[in-house]
Amino acid sequence: MSEVVLKGLKKVYDNKVTAVHDVNLEIKDKEFIVLVGPSGCGKSTTLRMVAGLEEISDGELFIDGKLVNDVPPKDRDIAMVFQNYALYPHKTVYDNLAFALKLRKEPKDVIDKKVREVAEILDITQYLKRKPKALSGGQRQRVAIGRAMVRDPKVFLMDEPLSNLDAKLRNQMRAEIIKLRSRINTTFMYVTHDQTEAMTLGDRIVIMKDGYVNQIGTPQEVFNRPVNLFVAGFIGMPVMNFFDHCKLLLEDGVYYAEIRGVKFKLGDFQQKALKQNNAQPCDIVAGIRPQHVTVGEGELSAKIEVSEMMGSEYNIHARSGDDEVVMLIPTVDLTTDVSMGKTINFTTRPHLIQLFDRETGNNLIWYDAESATNNAPVCKRYDF
Amino acid sequence: MEKRQQVKKMALRDTTGDKIFYTINAIVLGILALIVLYPLYFIVIAAISDPDAVLAGDVVLYPVRITMEGFAKIMERKDVWLGYRNTILYTALTVILSIIVTVPAGWALSRKTLPGQKAFMIYFIIPMFFGGGLIPFYNVMSSLGLVNTIWSIVLPAILSVWNLFMTKTFFQSSIPDTLIEAATIDGAGSFRIFGEVVLPLSKAIIAVMALYYAVGQWNSYFNAMIFLQNENLYPLQLVLKEILIASESTVGGSGETILQQYRLANQLKYVSVIVSSVPVLLLYPFVQKYFAQGVMIGSLKG
Amino acid sequence: MEAKTMKQPALTKKEKAPRKKMTREKRIRYFKDNSPYLLMILPAVLIVFLFNYLPIYGVLIAFQDFMPGDKILSDSTIWVGFQNFERFFSDPQFWPLMKNTFLICIIGFVIGFPLPIIVSLMLNAMKGKKTAKVLQTIFNGPHFISLVVLVGMLTLFFGRYGLVNNIAAHFGGERYSYFLESKAFRPMYILSSNWQDFGWSAIIYIAALSNVDPQQHEAAILDGATRFQRVMHVDLPAIMPMVSVMLIMSIGGLMGVGYEKALLMQTDGNLAVSELISTYVYKRGLTGVPDQAYATAIGLFNSIINVVLLIIANTTSKKFSENSLW
Repeated sequence: MSEVVLKGLKKVYDNKVTAVHDVNLEIKDKEFIVLVGPSGCGKSTTLRMVAGLEEISDGELFIDGKLVNDVPPKDRDIAMVFQNYALYPHKTVYDNLAFALKLRKEPKDVIDKKVREVAEILDITQYLKRKPKALSGGQRQRVAIGRAMVRDPKVFLMDEPLSNLDAKLRNQMRAEIIKLRSRINTTFMYVTHDQTEAMTLGDRIVIMKDGYVNQIGTPQEVFNRPVNLFVAGFIGMPVMNFFDHCKLLLEDGVYYAEIRGVKFKLGDFQQKALKQNNAQPCDIVAGIRPQHVTVGEGELSAKIEVSEMMGSEYNIHARSGDDEVVMLIPTVDLTTDVSMGKTINFTTRPHLIQLFDRETGNNLIWYDAESATNNAPVCKRYDF
Repeated sequence: MEKRQQVKKMALRDTTGDKIFYTINAIVLGILALIVLYPLYFIVIAAISDPDAVLAGDVVLYPVRITMEGFAKIMERKDVWLGYRNTILYTALTVILSIIVTVPAGWALSRKTLPGQKAFMIYFIIPMFFGGGLIPFYNVMSSLGLVNTIWSIVLPAILSVWNLFMTKTFFQSSIPDTLIEAATIDGAGSFRIFGEVVLPLSKAIIAVMALYYAVGQWNSYFNAMIFLQNENLYPLQLVLKEILIASESTVGGSGETILQQYRLANQLKYVSVIVSSVPVLLLYPFVQKYFAQGVMIGSLKG
Repeated sequence: MEAKTMKQPALTKKEKAPRKKMTREKRIRYFKDNSPYLLMILPAVLIVFLFNYLPIYGVLIAFQDFMPGDKILSDSTIWVGFQNFERFFSDPQFWPLMKNTFLICIIGFVIGFPLPIIVSLMLNAMKGKKTAKVLQTIFNGPHFISLVVLVGMLTLFFGRYGLVNNIAAHFGGERYSYFLESKAFRPMYILSSNWQDFGWSAIIYIAALSNVDPQQHEAAILDGATRFQRVMHVDLPAIMPMVSVMLIMSIGGLMGVGYEKALLMQTDGNLAVSELISTYVYKRGLTGVPDQAYATAIGLFNSIINVVLLIIANTTSKKFSENSLW
C-alpha cells in the first residue's frame, strides 16, 4: 500500500515568506497525481517536502500510513527524477543506476540483475558503459528515470522531468512515461508547469497558484468544471475566452446570462444548480472556450484582428468591446470570410457558458465552499 | 544586394584612425613584452658566456665565448643541492597537507547546512584584515616548540584563507545542488557524498590549489630565515639569498682580488638563477592557464 | 482579470499550538546529521587558530613590559598601557619610517594601480587574439619568480658589477652600486614590483573584459565609434566595478608593505630610505637585543592604520558608487 497523505502541509522560509499554504491531499495507492501551476506556485516545494529535501514547516506527511515528517529521504522509500537529471557525471550509466543499491549493500548479482532489468525496460542497455556526457537529452532522461526505478520505491517523484527537452522530444517522452506507468505499478507524484502534460498524464490534477491549492480533480473535471477563474484560464488550449461586465439575470424564476446585451437562457442543468445554490442576480464574468464558439451566426459580433493558420483550423483572434475573443474555424469550412478587419458574428450554446462571480472569481455552479474551507478544493457535486 | 555588400565592406575596413590605434597599441605592447623578456634572456646568455666578457659589458644581445663553466661550478655546490632537496620536500609536504586541509574545509563551508556557517565565515575573514604581527607570530611558533624544525615552514603555509574561499566559491558554482540531493535520496551520507560524488568532480580546483600552494612554498624564504638555524634545513631560496644578495650589501673596497671574486661570484649568480628557476619555467607554460582560471574562479565573488 | 485564490479560513479544523522554531530534539538531530561537515572544517579551523588568532592574542604584549620567556597573562605581567606607543612616536626613527613607508606605498600605488588596467585594455583591444594570449603568457611570467631571485636579478643588473655598470665601465664611466645609493632604492623597488606584478594583476581585468557582450561593441561601431572610443565607452565602463573593488582593497593594504623585499634590498648605504615600519619591526623584535613589546606595538600601530584605511576606503566607495566590499 503506497498511499501518500498530505495534511495541512505548509512551508515557511526564514524570511517569513510562505511558499506553500496548507496543502491537503490524499493520494491513493498507485495513483498518478500531477501538481501543476505557474512558476512560483509552490508545486516543486510541495514535492520536495514529500521527498524530504525541504523541511516541513507545519502539517503532517504520511507515506503508507506512517508519519514521515522527520524521516530522512533515504528511509522514506521514495525515488526522484530531477529536471536536470542530476546524473553522476563521472560514473557510467551502469554505476549511476547501481549506486543506490550499492549503498544499501545489496549483493553484486542482485544489483546486476536489477540494473539490467531496468535498462531493458527503458531501452538503454546499449549505453550501460557510457558516461552521461556522451548521451543525448532524451537518453539521459531515461537513465534518470532508470535510477529511480531500480530502487523499486513506494512513491515515484518527478520534478518537471520534461522541461529541459525540445518540443518534439517532449511529446515522445510523454508517451513513454504513460507506457512506463503501466509497467511500474506504483504511486506517482509529478510536477509540471505545462497543462498539456498534466491533462494527458494525470489521474488527478492539483492546480496551484501562489502557494494555494485551487482545485483538485480529474482532467475532465478541471476542464469542464473549473472552480474559479484561474483554473478556467489555466487549463485548456487555447485559453478560455472571458467576457467581463456580464450579468446573471433572474426573471420569473428563470436564469439568464447577459453577454454584451445579448440574453442567453441558461440550460436545464445550470437552472437546477443555480436554483439549488439560491444564486442571486449579480455581475459576472462569462467564460466560453474557443472550441465552444459557434462562428458565423448569432447576435454577438467581433472584429477580426489576426487569423492564424494552424493547419487543420484557423485560430481567429477577434475583438468584442474590451475583450479578446478567440475562435476556432476548421479550414474545411470556407463559407465564412476570415480576413482581417472583417466583423464576424458568433454565439454559443448556453449550457457551455461558464459563470464566474465578478468579485470573488468563483464559479457560480462549480465552486464548493465546503471543500474550499478544508483546503482540499474540488468541484461541487450535484445529484441530478 | 550591392548596398548590403557595400555596408559590409565599410564595416570591415578600418578607418585610418583605427589603424593608427592598432599599430600604436601593438608597438607599446611589444615594447612591454621586450621589457619583460629581456632581463630573463640576459640572464640566460650571461650564464653561458665567458665571465670576463660579461664583466666587460660585451654581453648584451648575444652570448660571447660560450662556456658551461658556471654550470659545472654549481654542480659542486653541496648547499645548493641540499637546498633543492629541502625545498622539494617542503613543497611536496605543503601541497599534500594543504589539499587535505583546504578542500574538505572549502566543501563544508559551501554547505548551507553547516552548523554555524555564518560564524565560520566571519572566523576566517577576520584574519584577512587584521593580524597579530611578526613578533607574536614568532612567539607562537617558539612556544609550540617548532622553531628550527621543518614544521615552522610547512604548517603556517597549509591554509591560505584566500585559497579557502576560492575553493568554497568553486564548489558553490560547479556542483549542482540537485546532484547532492539525488545522492541523498539514493541514501549516501555526507562523507560518502564528499568522497564519491564531490571529489571526482573537483579535479580542477585541486589542481589549482596544488599549484598555488606549491608556488607559494617554493618561492618563500622569510619564515625559513627567521626560524631555521640548522643550515641543513635551509630551503633553496635561502641558499640563493646567500649567493645572490649577501655580497652586495657591504661597501666594497677596491683592488683586483675583489674584482676576481666578483667575476666568479656573478657567474655563479647567473647560473643559480637559472638552475633554481628551471622547474618553474619548464612547467610554467602548461600550468599558466590553470592559474589564470584560479583567479577567475576566485573573482566570482564568494 | 486577476483570478481570486482560495482564502485561508480564520480557523482550521484542528487547533494546533504554534510550533517552536527548532525543538530540542530537532536541534540535536540537525547537529548529528551535519557533524561530518564540522569534522571536515576542523583542521582548517585549528591551523587558523594557531597561526592567526593566537598571534592576535599575543599582541597584548604591546601593552606590557615584556621579556622573552614571560607569560602573556599571569600575575607577574607588568602593564604599561600605551607607553610603547608613546615611545615609538618620540623615536627619532618615527618620521623617517612613516615617510619611507608612506612614500613607497603611495608612489607604488600611483604607478602600480593603473598599469594593469591599461595593459588589460590594450591586450583586449589587440587585433590578433592569439598574439594577445601569447603576450599575456609572457606578462604573467615574472609573477612566478621568487623575491630572492628578483632581487638577485636586480643586483645582476644594477649591482656594482651588473650589466648597467659593465656597460658604463665599457664606455669609460664610473662603477657604482645602485644598491648603495639612497636615491636609487625607491625607483628600483617600485619599478621592479611593477615589472613583476602588472601581468598577474591584469588577469582579473582581462577576465572581466572577456565577458563584455560583443553586441555592445557592434552597436558602438554602428554608432560610428573609433576603436579608441570603444575602449573608453564600452570596455572601461565594463571593468569599473572590478576597478572599484580592487581600489578599495589596494588602499586598505596601502600601508601594509611587507618586509620581505625591502629586507633583501637593504644595504648600509640606502638604509635611510629603505628602512620601513615593517623592517624596523623585524629588526627591533627579532635581531640584536630584541625588544619584543616595543616591536609588537609598532606592528599593531601599522595594522590599525591599515584597518582604518580600509574602512575609510570602503565607506567612501559606498557613498559614491554601488561598489563596496561589504
